[in-house]
Amino acid sequence: MRARLAAYGGAQLRDYLAGRALLTVVATGVAAWAYGFTHGLTWSAFDASGGIDARAQLQRAFEFVLTAFALIAAAFAAQGLVAKHRRRGYDLVLFSRPLSPVRYYAQGFVIAGLAAALLGAMAAEVYAVAVHPVSVIGAVAYVLLGWLTVGGLAFLLSTLTVFHVPLLLLILAADLSLDRYVTGVRASGAGSPVLDVAQYLLPPGHVVALLSGSFARGVVDPRAVVWPIVFGVSCVVAALLLLRRRPFGS
Amino acid sequence: MIELSHVSRTYAPTFGRPARALDDVSLRVAAGEVVGVSGPAGAGKTTLLSLVLGHAQPSSGTVRVDGVEPRRFVEREGIGYLPQPCSLPGGWRVTDALTRLAVLSGVHAQSVHARVDAVLADLGLEDSRRRRLRKLSPDARARFGVAQAVLADRRVIVLDEPLDGMSDDSLERLRNLVITLRAFDRAILIASRDTAALHRITDRVTLIDRGRVRRAGAPRPVTPVDVEAVFHLAVHQGAEHVLGTFPTAIALGKGVFAVRVSGLTVLNHGLRELLERGVLIASVAPAHVGAEPNAYSPMAQVTS
Repeated sequence: MRARLAAYGGAQLRDYLAGRALLTVVATGVAAWAYGFTHGLTWSAFDASGGIDARAQLQRAFEFVLTAFALIAAAFAAQGLVAKHRRRGYDLVLFSRPLSPVRYYAQGFVIAGLAAALLGAMAAEVYAVAVHPVSVIGAVAYVLLGWLTVGGLAFLLSTLTVFHVPLLLLILAADLSLDRYVTGVRASGAGSPVLDVAQYLLPPGHVVALLSGSFARGVVDPRAVVWPIVFGVSCVVAALLLLRRRPFGS
Repeated sequence: MIELSHVSRTYAPTFGRPARALDDVSLRVAAGEVVGVSGPAGAGKTTLLSLVLGHAQPSSGTVRVDGVEPRRFVEREGIGYLPQPCSLPGGWRVTDALTRLAVLSGVHAQSVHARVDAVLADLGLEDSRRRRLRKLSPDARARFGVAQAVLADRRVIVLDEPLDGMSDDSLERLRNLVITLRAFDRAILIASRDTAALHRITDRVTLIDRGRVRRAGAPRPVTPVDVEAVFHLAVHQGAEHVLGTFPTAIALGKGVFAVRVSGLTVLNHGLRELLERGVLIASVAPAHVGAEPNAYSPMAQVTS
């Protein structure tokens, strides 16, 4: 008698929508409001008869919100999965059943990513119809890229430690700061090939953050996403291997 | 079915001295047996159970369940397990939680609701079905823990401190449940600090303290020849003949019967008759509950 894991997917989706998806939408809403407030964006900017400046301002706002949504959704994708289960002892109840923890958590992670992409698609479609044309497919692909890279890192950290949330924030902050530092050094003419390689190999949070505009316009340089995808896949594979080896209740 | 052979388990914290939770422990639980592990808090009971579940690995020695590594067995068949504490999200309602766990236990889609209703009834949780887990009383929470452990038909059941938080009524329910769970192909391992209660619901009790076996569970004393007693009879095939031979026998579970006889001579005569009818007998053991005067009636209540 094997676990009916596929049938349990509905429960995992409900858990995601009632918890992490709601948090993602609220946090993105707060970020959007903060952006609009600090950039003096008013309702008149959404007027279709607005000039080129107004539309450019709207496009920048959309790219910001898309970036915020993708990163927040990715950070929440693994939130409440492995580390929380271990800390609270849910894993002891779950994995006495004929069930592989690798498959259970992999399914939960995939469902969170697909649900986030669906939410992103709905929001992008509404924006494209009501306000300004954007590539809905590009927006979905961008959310999935964020889920794979930042979400993959969050998933890996969640299998390693209960302090996965502060650790993720620390890594992303360090990543953005180092990227900015290296870019500054290069701009001052003191760059070097070593620095270029180091910048390329940083966790790709900064790359993802920069790509929302390209995805929203539907024009992406494939070379730009190679490292983020390799990084994300590596994190997910490492997380699944750790799940296989690490004892429960620890 | 469950076999621990010279098992030691040492916890090595990052800081501080290593602590040996189990030291050269050996224990066997055969199919058809209900075995208790008793000892004070910190004796190593939970560590022992976590090894059986494959949640932890032994530092030395071997642990096998049905001849294979515990984790392999769990992922193949599952174990009915009550951890201590039994933690699940407090916002889940009782029925929802049991339904989810039934799905994860592999209970067939058409049987899930019936199975959930059955364990709710067995554990007296019908009135709590809509309650959130965090709102359950300690007694109801303890019963919920046992309910989730017995949702599916498992060959191995492991209960860690099932008596904690239980009222006297719930203890009686648990005892009856253990009786009904007994099957010729099922091994049941129960850990508790309450040695006396364990003696009432198990076949034998192994006492451990500070990680070592202090007293291995002794076999039951031989039943005197001419004393009325209750026996647990487990048959592999031909169960339909048992009631013909022992008309007062009570069916306890899959191929398991409680048989009251006036003495060993009558028992052996009946067994011979069963063998002649082609019944394949798996085990015959004195029912521990038979030692108590009112032990026979609760079994009747459960099966009626």
